[in-house]
Amino acid sequence: MKGRVALLGLCAVLLALLPLTGDDVLIQYGIDALLFATLAQAWNIIGGFAGYASFGNSSFYGLGTYGTAIAMAQLHLPFWVGLCLGAFLAVVCAVLIGLPILRLRGHYFAIATLGLSATLSAIIANLDISGRNIGLILPLTRNDTMFYELALVLLVAATGTVAWIARSRFGMGLIAIRENEDAAQVMGVNTTLYKVTALVLSAFFTALAGGIHAYWITFIDPASAFDLTLNVRMVIMAMFGGPGTVLGPVIGSFILTFVYQLLASSISTAAALLFGIVIVLAVIFMPRGLWDLAGGLRRLGPRYFLQNIRAHRL
Amino acid sequence: MSADTILEAQGLTMRFLGLVAVNQVSFALARGEILGLIGPNGAGKTTLISLISGTLLPVAGELLFEGRSINGLPPHARAHLGIGRTFQVMKPFPRLSVLENVTVGALFGFGGGEHNRSKAREQARALLDFTGLQHRVDQHADELGGPDRKRLELAKALAMKPKLLLLDEVMAGLTHAEIDEVVEIIKKIRDSGITILVIEHVMRAIRSLSDRIVVLHHGEMIAEGMPDAVLADPRVIEAYLGKRRA
Ligand SMILES: Nc1ncnc2c1ncn2[C@@H]1O[C@H](COP(=O)(O)OP(=O)(O)OP(=O)(O)O)[C@@H](O)[C@H]1O
Ligand SMILES: [Mg+2]
Repeated sequence: MKGRVALLGLCAVLLALLPLTGDDVLIQYGIDALLFATLAQAWNIIGGFAGYASFGNSSFYGLGTYGTAIAMAQLHLPFWVGLCLGAFLAVVCAVLIGLPILRLRGHYFAIATLGLSATLSAIIANLDISGRNIGLILPLTRNDTMFYELALVLLVAATGTVAWIARSRFGMGLIAIRENEDAAQVMGVNTTLYKVTALVLSAFFTALAGGIHAYWITFIDPASAFDLTLNVRMVIMAMFGGPGTVLGPVIGSFILTFVYQLLASSISTAAALLFGIVIVLAVIFMPRGLWDLAGGLRRLGPRYFLQNIRAHRL
Repeated sequence: MSADTILEAQGLTMRFLGLVAVNQVSFALARGEILGLIGPNGAGKTTLISLISGTLLPVAGELLFEGRSINGLPPHARAHLGIGRTFQVMKPFPRLSVLENVTVGALFGFGGGEHNRSKAREQARALLDFTGLQHRVDQHADELGGPDRKRLELAKALAMKPKLLLLDEVMAGLTHAEIDEVVEIIKKIRDSGITILVIEHVMRAIRSLSDRIVVLHHGEMIAEGMPDAVLADPRVIEAYLGKRRA
């Protein structure tokens, strides 16, 4: 356990030193990868631990984005105030939608969250303070190293939170809800409180990632801020790495972001297609993600794949 | 209500659409007793347990636990007060180990449970020994066979340290020898001071366990009393024979 923490700490330090290379392109890829990993990790809290597949996270991202942008571009407040505003909006939204929507189970919850991004996007596009459908331009800061380090700090914080969840009573309650909510509640788990808390934590980290991204990219509009495909990517990355694990979503999103960049730079037209094929194969051969694959291969060897294929009745 | 009444139901009624599943049921449970709840299939036994554990809300009637009304309390709050149940259609946490399944009960349960995870795990381990699951500790719940799943349901509920334990057909599908084992376990649970409401179709077990028996038929309480008297009651016999004839 201690060895593991030390190793992870070393990884974080090495990642923190990456900007010393002075390679601008590498740093930009790094910011992207770190923010995506944070998004996947944040989704992991509600989707992986509590078992509620949220498609409302792109809304939390959008609120984080707009909170930051409105604070900075319209109210001329400092960046950190914007981050707080964005996180606040996302948390309030998570509570307001969580209380009614988290009563819905399984697919119904996922479907109910699907409409949220479009709704919020439409509201934002009609408000003066958010620049209507034209969007907002934030003050320019050419300091990629700062953005990189901020994104890294956020990822470490999100992962630390998930590591705590995985070992805590709270986390055991979330897992119990995921495994069987009826049993969880008669055993004493306050399911409503736990689910809403999980959604709030997820919204918090998602919004901060959105805020950092907004300041970095300096221009936002409703369509890009409330983009449902971003939510789909969070889900894919978390599922690919291992939902309900501490490091799976991070490793999964690092690998997928890397594969995607690689494909996009060499064979751009076929990249999306190939990416899709990678996902389909991954779901068939390792439906519980890389993390489960690692354990399964050690235990069963190649039989692990056969077992998964059989489970799918292919 | 006498001082050592732990649970009292007054006029409990539950309807599903047009069907009256539980109709004006009133009874009291004395602290430390084992009450057998029997009745033909569809009589409303499971529904009654769900009303007590809070997973269903009655359309009428009052429930008092240790003298206070629990009508407005959600299931987890009733668990914290000390009401534990098993499910007839078992509800294990399929992808968790047997030990983790039971640990959940210890972590939450009565009074909100033992908040320390390793202490909760130790309590769970002791209960696995008690229920005869010690050799299954690290197996996933969905890998267990039927009898072991029944034992797991029991261990999960016990881990909550309930004052009142509601058992819904924990012996269904067990062999004679296994039933005798479970009967012994239930007697030990009662001896540890836990009040038990047990639903069972296995008459031999009900007769040897119950201090008193309540009989439901079409949602109505048709008999209540000592086991021998109740099981000899013509109305009870007719309820069961009527079912067999149908
Ligand atoms: N959720 C539900 N929705 C609709 N009807 C229900 C529901 N639950 C139970 N019922 C009906 O209520 C009646 C009582 O069911 P219940 O499960 O309580 O019977 P039971 O005495 O436990 O029977 P068994 O011995 O077969 O377990 C049955 O007619 C059943 O079909
Ligand atoms: Mg039943």
